[in-house]
Amino acid sequence: MNPAVIFDGVVDGLQLGLLAVGLTLLYGLGGILNLAHGQIAVLGGITAALLLDAGWGALPAAAMAVVAATAAGLVLDQTIMRPVYRERGEDRILLSLLVTLGVGFVIDGLLVWRYPSEALTLRVGSGSVEVLGITMRVGSLYASAITIVAIGLVIGFLRATRAGRAVRSVIEDEVGAELVGVNPSAVRTLIFGLSGALAGLFAVTQSMTSPVTSSSGVSYTILALIVTVVGGLGSATGALLAGLILGIVNAISAAEIGSYITSIILLAAAALTILVRPSGLLGRTE
Amino acid sequence: MSVTDTLLPDTAEPGHARSPVATWAPIAIVAVLLALVPVFVGDSRTWMGLATGMLLFACYATAFNVIFGSTGQLFLCVGALAGVSGYATPILADEFGVPGVVALVVGTALSALLGGLFSWVSVRRSLGVIFTGIVTLTFSLGFHNLLLGQRELTGGETGLRIQVGGDTVLRELVPAYLVFLGLLVGYLVLYRLLQRSSFGWAFSALRDDPVAAELAGVDVARYRIWAGTIGSAMLGLAGGLWAITEGFVSPTTFAFGEVDVETLVILAFGGIGTLLGPVIGSVALTVLDELLRDAGQLRVAIFGAILVALFLGFRSGVGPAVGRLARRVLPTSLTDRFR
Repeated sequence: MNPAVIFDGVVDGLQLGLLAVGLTLLYGLGGILNLAHGQIAVLGGITAALLLDAGWGALPAAAMAVVAATAAGLVLDQTIMRPVYRERGEDRILLSLLVTLGVGFVIDGLLVWRYPSEALTLRVGSGSVEVLGITMRVGSLYASAITIVAIGLVIGFLRATRAGRAVRSVIEDEVGAELVGVNPSAVRTLIFGLSGALAGLFAVTQSMTSPVTSSSGVSYTILALIVTVVGGLGSATGALLAGLILGIVNAISAAEIGSYITSIILLAAAALTILVRPSGLLGRTE
Repeated sequence: MSVTDTLLPDTAEPGHARSPVATWAPIAIVAVLLALVPVFVGDSRTWMGLATGMLLFACYATAFNVIFGSTGQLFLCVGALAGVSGYATPILADEFGVPGVVALVVGTALSALLGGLFSWVSVRRSLGVIFTGIVTLTFSLGFHNLLLGQRELTGGETGLRIQVGGDTVLRELVPAYLVFLGLLVGYLVLYRLLQRSSFGWAFSALRDDPVAAELAGVDVARYRIWAGTIGSAMLGLAGGLWAITEGFVSPTTFAFGEVDVETLVILAFGGIGTLLGPVIGSVALTVLDELLRDAGQLRVAIFGAILVALFLGFRSGVGPAVGRLARRVLPTSLTDRFR
């Protein structure tokens, strides 16, 4: 097997992990399963694409992708999700799932309707370089570097900052956190914004290796959901690990077996995880 | 069972307290009204096509009502379960020479088995609503990919032309409509019977007080598995019949984005866990769909917005909301019949 295939898998897997982190944190602390996550990423991507068309430079356009996706997350949190937060437990999860499913269709429908053939492709240097004897596209290297830095920042944020500890305390125990003075609602808003930002960043890094089209939102959501489930709903490190593993599986299987079997393998991985170990790779067993 | 508290309306009571007239009159009235449709538009291909599609979705929604509305199992694989039979029936008949009726029975049984299996697994592993939703969603997407991938058998993206039933009256407009009308009426009767049976009692008891119900010996697991199996059989039968009367199926016919989303919109509109919710919802959806025919992709966005608005605004459906209003204005004896 070509080692470059595995390397491609790693590059893609890192990004998938980052996309899934946003989803899993939101689930862990808010009991919100955001099925519009991939569409928010695409919203950021298409914003950047339109700005590039309007003559913006790659860097400011990419920054605006992150800004747009962050804003989408914050708006969602402040408007449509308000009534959802009033519910507790399973009700909240169910309602969030149904409502964000609708939101996903709204974003997807609007983007495909208005910009059917728009796609974000960031060209960051052309050609390829040799790394450890493996030929890699420059785009892949940039994408990986950005993603690794972002992962580092997210982990640092969760472990070392006061806000990050507040986030983890709410995931651990919402009522307990409230008792020691953490405001769960503010933490949720923070994470909705962060989750949007990560989605926007995902669109930027994806577009360095393959185009982000206006209709790719649904498949991003599904991939993120699979990775989140395999990693364990609520576990950020689990999501990163699962992203890496599934990214490699995806790349190998797509190269060796074919793409339609690959998607079935990924879906089966998610279903099996739920059946065998619902808490995921690194999730806590209750 | 707390999920049902918020999403299921109070009107989802078992039918045991009603008189025979109040129990069966709504179904009879719906049957008569819908039977009039061919009288008026029987020779219009467009209208009959729309009306038959409307009945199909009312059937899907009634089946989903049995599974989700009655027992709170979030099956996000309505289209896929219908598609299992929707593909198995014609493939068995056309490729393997099985008689059409037998193929339909086998196809329906396959859907029922699969749905029952999902219920069994989710009960055994005590999966919450979210995990049941995700497992069934992965099945939906996997099934869709399988249809695309197994070209020799399914025709892949282009779909499958179906011979079985080809030279019969079933391919004609009005008979096809009547087949689905009969199916819908049968499903509504079945739904009512389930409501009136120990099944309906058990689930209203569960909604009222899960702990008391368990203590009183209500076997939740058993009822859930039955609901999953019966509801999936209903989906399979509808899907298989659709394949025979349409003469064509494609992955889109049973896609998540088409079937499941529309079924959710129908039930959210008509009222989850109500007898006539599926009918009211699918009439409304068909009208809306027709209005939006030229809207293209904007249609997707509008459906999404409606889904959000319905789930946030009219938690128990527009139908029951109108019903409550009517009950305030009209004498209760009249309105109660339509619950």
